[in-house]
Amino acid sequence: MAYSDKVVDHYNNPRNVGSLPKNDPNVGTGLVGAPECGDVMKLQMKINPETQVIEEAKFKTFGCGSAIASSSLATEWVKGKTVDEALAIKNTDIVRELSLPPVKIHCSVLAEDAIKAAIGDWKKKHGVEAPAAAETASH
Amino acid sequence: MSTVPTSAEAPLVCWNCHERTLGTHFCSNCGKLRQLPQGTDYFALFEMPRKLWMEMSELEQKFLRLSWKLHPDNFVNASEQEREVSLKRSSELNDAYRTLRDPIARVEYLLAIEGERKEGEKKQQAPPELLEEVFELNESLDELREAKASGEDLAALKAQLENAEKNFQEKLGEVDGELQATAREWDAVLTGDSATRKKVMAKLNELLNRRSYIRNLVTNVAKELTEV
Repeated sequence: MAYSDKVVDHYNNPRNVGSLPKNDPNVGTGLVGAPECGDVMKLQMKINPETQVIEEAKFKTFGCGSAIASSSLATEWVKGKTVDEALAIKNTDIVRELSLPPVKIHCSVLAEDAIKAAIGDWKKKHGVEAPAAAETASH
Repeated sequence: MSTVPTSAEAPLVCWNCHERTLGTHFCSNCGKLRQLPQGTDYFALFEMPRKLWMEMSELEQKFLRLSWKLHPDNFVNASEQEREVSLKRSSELNDAYRTLRDPIARVEYLLAIEGERKEGEKKQQAPPELLEEVFELNESLDELREAKASGEDLAALKAQLENAEKNFQEKLGEVDGELQATAREWDAVLTGDSATRKKVMAKLNELLNRRSYIRNLVTNVAKELTEV
């Protein structure tokens, strides 16, 4: 199966590989996996509690080219977005951008799950279950 | 040609004589090779219960007998349609044998036909502890790769890799042991109530997931080792 140029580009030059301090209260960590292929993906974001803007995003993925490209793209997309904007990213957006074939759709699902998990972790650290807007209002 | 009676399938209409027929492999009416009745799973194809423990020699015998019966060589003088059916049936039979012969593929297949294997977009999330563990194991493997790239002491690196391989192999062995035990559990509840069956299948599913993460690690470390 041939990868699209965009997948190859992200695979050869992955953006934002690395990690952020897990215990930083402003860092949310999402760790997700796809059992069918054994891929694991860790996505971390540093979120400004005042503005709700994602200031930094890092990832580390052990998996196939599509999984790496999906998470690399996800970090690019979430940077500079607000939490709510990032939550609106759908796996289908990633599929479209990277032209993923049907057998690789689960890689994009993994990336979407990772975004949600990371933001969920950050929200938990801040004791918010409610929509992020409530958090801003309290400051 | 003999007819093989089947218990599981409803009678269907034969493509050749257009009569309702009961045979799994050959029409009970006209004796022509049949298309596999829709919904016939691999277990039914071999006329075996959906048990996870199987006598390999029994499966092999059934396979050989059937492949002899269905083989395209037997149909060189038959109509084009029957030749096509023979080809299709033979390839289905090979798939069925390959799947049931392999204990892991067999579990995957069972869960799939029981509708309990969660794959693709409807995947199941693995437990966080497992993901943490797998991630850490992957990271340690990554460190070894980096050490290799920077040309560190190869002998020491090789020892570390071998150690990692042993560790992953052990883990794989543990999972396989648990899978076997759970497979026996499944066979015991085969005719049990659906809640119990579902519980055992959920356990099988979880073990398969765990296994695929560990299998990846084993493959990756083995690959690194061949390159040291």
